[in-house]
Amino acid sequence: MQKLKVSSSFVRWLLILVVVGLGAILFTFHNESFYQRPLARVEQVRNEKAVKQTDEFKNVDWQTKQYLKIKMLNGKYRGKKLMVTNTYSYSGAMDQRYRVGNEIFLTRVHEKDGLLHATIAGYKRDTVIVFLVWLVILLLLLMMKKQGNLALLSVVVNSILFVLAIELDLKMQAAHVLLIFGTLALIFTIVSLILILGLTKRMLATLGATVCGTLIAMLISLLVFQLTQERGIYYESMQYVTQVPRPLFLAETLLGSLGAVMDESSDIVATIFELRQLDPTATKGQLFMAGRSVGKSIMGPLVNVLFLIFMADTFTSSLLYLKNGNSWGYTFSMNMCLGTVQSLISGIGIVLAIPIASGLAAILLGKKGKA
Amino acid sequence: MSTITALGLVLMVLMILVGGKQGWTAFLSLLLNFGFLYFAIVLIAFHVPPMFVTLTTGTIILAVTIFMGEDDLKTTVTAFYASLIVMGLLLLLIVGVEHWAMVQGFGSEDSEDLEGMSLLIGISYLKVAVTTTILSTLGAIAEAAMAVSAGLTEILDAHPDIDNAQIMKSGMAIGGQIIGTTFNTLFFGFFGGFLTLFIWFAGLHYSLGTIINNKIFVGEMIMVLTSFIGVLLTVPITAWIMGLRKKSVVDSFGENK
Repeated sequence: MQKLKVSSSFVRWLLILVVVGLGAILFTFHNESFYQRPLARVEQVRNEKAVKQTDEFKNVDWQTKQYLKIKMLNGKYRGKKLMVTNTYSYSGAMDQRYRVGNEIFLTRVHEKDGLLHATIAGYKRDTVIVFLVWLVILLLLLMMKKQGNLALLSVVVNSILFVLAIELDLKMQAAHVLLIFGTLALIFTIVSLILILGLTKRMLATLGATVCGTLIAMLISLLVFQLTQERGIYYESMQYVTQVPRPLFLAETLLGSLGAVMDESSDIVATIFELRQLDPTATKGQLFMAGRSVGKSIMGPLVNVLFLIFMADTFTSSLLYLKNGNSWGYTFSMNMCLGTVQSLISGIGIVLAIPIASGLAAILLGKKGKA
Repeated sequence: MSTITALGLVLMVLMILVGGKQGWTAFLSLLLNFGFLYFAIVLIAFHVPPMFVTLTTGTIILAVTIFMGEDDLKTTVTAFYASLIVMGLLLLLIVGVEHWAMVQGFGSEDSEDLEGMSLLIGISYLKVAVTTTILSTLGAIAEAAMAVSAGLTEILDAHPDIDNAQIMKSGMAIGGQIIGTTFNTLFFGFFGGFLTLFIWFAGLHYSLGTIINNKIFVGEMIMVLTSFIGVLLTVPITAWIMGLRKKSVVDSFGENK
C-alpha cells in the first residue's frame, strides 16, 4: 500500500513536469507578442548559386545569397509580408542559412514607396534554451529527488546572486571589482554549502578549507605574477571586456575555481567524518592520511574538468587564428594563454585544498595521539 | 621565465608534494590533455573532418583522464566504458541541438576582436561547435563516472552477492551525493568565464528577450546544460555497466586476496 502511494504521487509529479515542460516549449513557439523587437517567420526561400571565395590565405569558401519571403508576426505590421536578403557561407562564422519556418528578428523595419523593408538581426533561439532547461530539470528530479531539488535550488540562488553582483559592479563603476566578486565568492560558498550539507560542523570544515584553499592559491599566483612580471599574459586577448581587464580576469579565475575547490574539500571532509563514525578512536594522523588519500585520487580528474571547460571556449577563435596564417605560438598566446593561466591557478587551489581540508577535519574530529 | 611556466612548475611541485606518484601522473594527464586538445585544433585546421577529430580526441581525453587519475582497474574500466557511452549519447543530443540553435562561430559582440580577420575559412563552424561543446563536457563526465564507479566497487567488495537492481539503487544514491557539488563545479567553472560577457550585457542594458536569443549566450548555455545532462546520464549508465561487469569485478577481488 505504502509503495503504491509513493509511486502514484511520483507518476503525478512526472505528469506535471512533462505537461509544464511541453507547455513552456509550445509557448516559445507563439510568444511573438511578448517581444518588443520585430519578429518574422520565413515563408519562402530562393537561393542563388553558391559563389566561390578565396581569401589571401588560400582558404576556399562558398557564399550563397538568399531571398527570403517573410511574414511579420508582431508589432504594427503584423501579418504583412516582405522580402529580405541574406548571405551565408559554408563556414558560417558570423552568418547562417535560413530555411522555411525559421523565426528571425528584424531591425530597421520601415515603409518606403508602399513596400516594407527590413534587415535581419538574428535568429530566434529561446526554444532551445527552454527545451534544455526542461530536460535538465526532468532528469534531475526523476533521478535524484531530494538532492536533485537542492542542487537545482543552489544553481538558481547562485544565478540570482551572480546577477545582483554584476548590477552592483556596474553601479560602482567597476571601482572594486575584486572586492565585490571576492565577497560574492564567499557568499556563494556559504549558500551552496548550507544547501548541500546544512548548517553543520561538516559544512564549517568544508567552508574553511574552500576559503583558505582558494585564497592561498590566489596569493601564490599573485606572487608568481609579481616575480615573473606577468610575462606572457596578454590581457588584451580577453573577450568582451568593457572594464579594466586585470581585476576582471582575477575575479573570473576566483569564481571559476571556487566550485572545484568546494567539490574537493567536501569530498575529503565527508570521508573523514564517515571514517570517524566507523572508528571513533581514529587519531588525527590517521584521519589526515585518509583525507589525503581521497583527495589525491580526485584532484587529477577535477583539474581536468576545469581545464577542458576553460580551454574548449578558446577552440573557435584559435581555429580562426590558425587559418589566418598565424603561427602556433602566436595563436596560443592570443587565445589560450589566459585559459591556461586560469586552469593552473585553479589547479593550485584544488591541490592546496587537500592538506587544508584533511587537516581541518582531522583537528576537529581526531583523538589526540601520535601522528 | 614566463608566468605560465612558473605557475605550471608551482602546480607540479604542489601536486607531487601532496600526491606523490599519483600527483605526478595527475600533472602529466593535464599536460597530455593540453597536447591532444591543441592537436585537435591543428587537425581541424588541416581539414580533417571535425566529427572524426571529436570522436578520437574525445576517446583519448577520456582515457587519459580516467586511467591516469586512478590505478584501480576495477574502477577505471567501468568508468571508461560508461563515459564512452555517455559521450555517444551526448553527441547525438549536441548535434541535434547545435543544428537547431545555430550558435556556431562568433556573435556580433565579437566583431571588434575579429577586425582584419578573414572569416571565410572553408571549415564548417557548425561542426566545430559540436566538437567544442562535447570536449567541454568530457572532464565532468569522466569525473562523475569515476566517483560512481569507485563507490560501487567498494560496495561490491563488501557485498559481492548483491543483485543488479541494488547496484543501480546504490549507484543512484552515490549520484545523489555527488550531484550537488558537481553542479557547483560546472556552474562556477562556466559562469566564472562568462563574467565579462554578462557585464557587457548588463552594461548595455540588454533585455531578457535579447539575452535568451543572443548567439553567444545561447551557445554558452548549451555547453552548461549539456554538461549537466552528461553528468546526470553518467550516474545510471555507470551503475548499469557495473552490473554487467559484476562477475569480473567480484572475481578480481578473489585474486587479490
